[in-house]
Amino acid sequence: MTTTQLTDWLLAPGLAPDPADSLAPLYTGAAADELHLPHCAACGLALELEQRVCDGCGGAEVIWRAVAPAGTVHSVTVVHRREPGLVLAEEPYPVADIELASGHRLVLAPVFPGTAPPAIGDPVAIGFRRLGEVAVPGFTTAPAAHDPYPEEAS
Amino acid sequence: MNAPAIVGLGATVMSTSPGGEAAALAAEAVGAALADCGLARSEVDGLLVGSSQGVRPDRVGVQLAAQAGFGDLRLLEHIEIKGATTIAMVERAVLALREGVVRTVVCVFADAPVRARGSAGSMYAHSGGNSGVRGLERASGLLGSVPTYALLAARWLHVHGGAAEDLCAVALAARAWALGNPAAVQRTPLDADGYHASPMVAEPLRRLDCARPVNGAVAVVLAADPGVGEGARVAVRGTGRAHPVRRRRTGAESWFGGGRPAVDSALGHAGMTRGDLDLIELYDPFTVVTLALLEEYALCLPGQAGELARAGQLGPGGELPTNTGGGQLSGFYLQGMTPLHEAVVQLRGAGAERQVPGAGTALVGGLGGRSDHHACLVLEAA
Ligand SMILES: [Zn+2]
Repeated sequence: MTTTQLTDWLLAPGLAPDPADSLAPLYTGAAADELHLPHCAACGLALELEQRVCDGCGGAEVIWRAVAPAGTVHSVTVVHRREPGLVLAEEPYPVADIELASGHRLVLAPVFPGTAPPAIGDPVAIGFRRLGEVAVPGFTTAPAAHDPYPEEAS
Repeated sequence: MNAPAIVGLGATVMSTSPGGEAAALAAEAVGAALADCGLARSEVDGLLVGSSQGVRPDRVGVQLAAQAGFGDLRLLEHIEIKGATTIAMVERAVLALREGVVRTVVCVFADAPVRARGSAGSMYAHSGGNSGVRGLERASGLLGSVPTYALLAARWLHVHGGAAEDLCAVALAARAWALGNPAAVQRTPLDADGYHASPMVAEPLRRLDCARPVNGAVAVVLAADPGVGEGARVAVRGTGRAHPVRRRRTGAESWFGGGRPAVDSALGHAGMTRGDLDLIELYDPFTVVTLALLEEYALCLPGQAGELARAGQLGPGGELPTNTGGGQLSGFYLQGMTPLHEAVVQLRGAGAERQVPGAGTALVGGLGGRSDHHACLVLEAA
């Protein structure tokens, strides 16, 4: 099963992140529908995305590797303010702060339009949106909770 | 040696309309602060400058020394610790005065986000860039600063069993104070119905849960020598800083933790306890931040901030007078200058309609990043 959409339902392509920046491994993995996140090479601790030195052991080598695309909702909002020219969605959209099973935290939008906001503590899966030329992670809830617009799914 | 004191205070009009550029506003506030204490620019030997970070190209910096008509200086710095900058500037001034490096220091903060084209909200939505963590967050629809704090607010209410009424109570208390503050930009009476009619920005935060950006500037003049400046003095009795490094990981909480040492330090210098504080002037860009800081700084019993707010204890006549000029929510948003300005006004007894009777001491807090940087002052009427 793939959860990648060809065009983004939420945002204008100008908001695509720079895929060559310090998070490049994340975007390269996302392009292959995998969630790659940084760990300490020495002790394996889950690191923050821009962390360079491990706070657990002091190790300075960071390795990015695929992690389980699953987590639970730490917090969630529904954004009502939609800046013209930046936000394409015509309705308020949820954004969730997700505690991943890998130990990382990511703030993500839903992969699919029409996703009902999950509750704090709900399980979510990680899929991918395609924003401009860049694949970015997003969350999906249980299948019943969203309208998957199957004609747009790849 | 005498304790360093705030001897002069100056401010521009706080404007929600386009107009003014940051350097001109800063120069105007500096002029007002010097006039307030009867000093000439030539008598100033230190200048500390703070600006809003990142968003705007025309931020003030060390070039303000030349722009604002100063002569040779012995201390000149542009300080940048996000929202903690202003209070940290005062601490920097206090340390330099204690060391005897300088005799008279001006601290100024200016900002001019309100433009003719597009709202301030629009400008914030467009700023932040496409790189790093922020780039990924923006690609996830986290535009501007409100959705970030909405996530914090939703989590806060979930963990504390709070409700929108808690946020509403903070907004109403701020507005009640603002009614007595001529410098406040939101001075129409507000009730709960009015709050709930306010447009939702990002749940649970409504427009009235968010600070109001203004074009404006505030400056203060500090000196330790009792011969410098004339008029009412407000002594800086204590300063404190805390820069907790918190990891965003599974299992970690969203907020705070680590800010309390800044308050403990400032009170320790002052030889005071929390019970000695007559006024609480906090950095309140969003209603939820007032609640979270009251608990983080141990200014109320754990878990009681929402209840205090709902009982009206933060507002006029309450037991814990908090953000007595309307704060950043209903007063004006000039980062740490908002709580600092209000504390000085109150401790001079110049609060007129909003004056807290007998106010002799105040805690002033600055907050930067996502509650990553805390700077505190304990002030006392001298
Ligand atoms: Zn390690």
